[in-house]
Amino acid sequence: MRRTNDNGETLLEIVLTIIIIGITVTALISGLATASTAGNAHRANVSSDAVMRSYAEAAKLASRQCAPGAPLAIEFLPLAGYTVRVEPEAPVCPAVSTTQLLQLTVTAPEGLTQRMEIRVRTP
Amino acid sequence: MKVSTETVGSPSPDRGSTLIIAIGFVMAIGSIAAGLSALVVSSMNSRGTLIELRDTEYAADGAIEAAIAEVRTQPGDLSSACGDMAGSRVEVLNGQSIRVDWYNACGVVRGGDGAVVAQRNVIFAACPDTGATCLEDAIVIRAQVNFEQTTTGAVTETFVQTWSVNR
Repeated sequence: MRRTNDNGETLLEIVLTIIIIGITVTALISGLATASTAGNAHRANVSSDAVMRSYAEAAKLASRQCAPGAPLAIEFLPLAGYTVRVEPEAPVCPAVSTTQLLQLTVTAPEGLTQRMEIRVRTP
Repeated sequence: MKVSTETVGSPSPDRGSTLIIAIGFVMAIGSIAAGLSALVVSSMNSRGTLIELRDTEYAADGAIEAAIAEVRTQPGDLSSACGDMAGSRVEVLNGQSIRVDWYNACGVVRGGDGAVVAQRNVIFAACPDTGATCLEDAIVIRAQVNFEQTTTGAVTETFVQTWSVNR
């Protein structure tokens, strides 16, 4: 009677093992790459948020220092690579009985764009 | 004749260890995959929450600024700066509807000549609009503003005395 060799070291088993480990390692590396990409996107998002908040505060500060009808000069230097924009493009300080609506836009170096509306007034 | 001591058909001593190793391997890979998925999902949720919080905060900020401008056009009664002046308004900003309630919170100071002078202070509270007065838990920003007036009652300048944001 012929005995079956169950040592588990046939060529087929080794090949299958290598394939499975290869697929697993590939999946893990892909997962890590995805996590890294998500981390970068999250960091860009947080940085954009910080720039947006700073820009909004700069706009509010500018409105507190100007007279009604005068140009609203927002002095703000964003982080390197970030661009900021305000609409209307040439805002003016509002009359004391009203407010000025500003739409702020921040664009990150990666292309991520955030928009936010604020209202400013003169004291 | 050579006789094998191994019993034909009996399990080898390490049989079954392969299954345990395989299960452990699968669990390890599963844990790593679950961790990575959780990380990505968490990042996505954080992003949404961050932007939503900021939009709400600045919507409340803008709504209070608009309310201050409105109150400024309502000259205070010089004979009773501590009167029952109150009001509310709703402002839509960043796609969010914000309600602002305000009421008088008079103050009294003694002037340089010793005379008692009433201060026209107003407390503003902003919250997401539900159609009713802002509840304490829902208030996003609470501010107290002093309205400086001339002897005719016209407001000449406003001074923000407190401005607290509830995040």
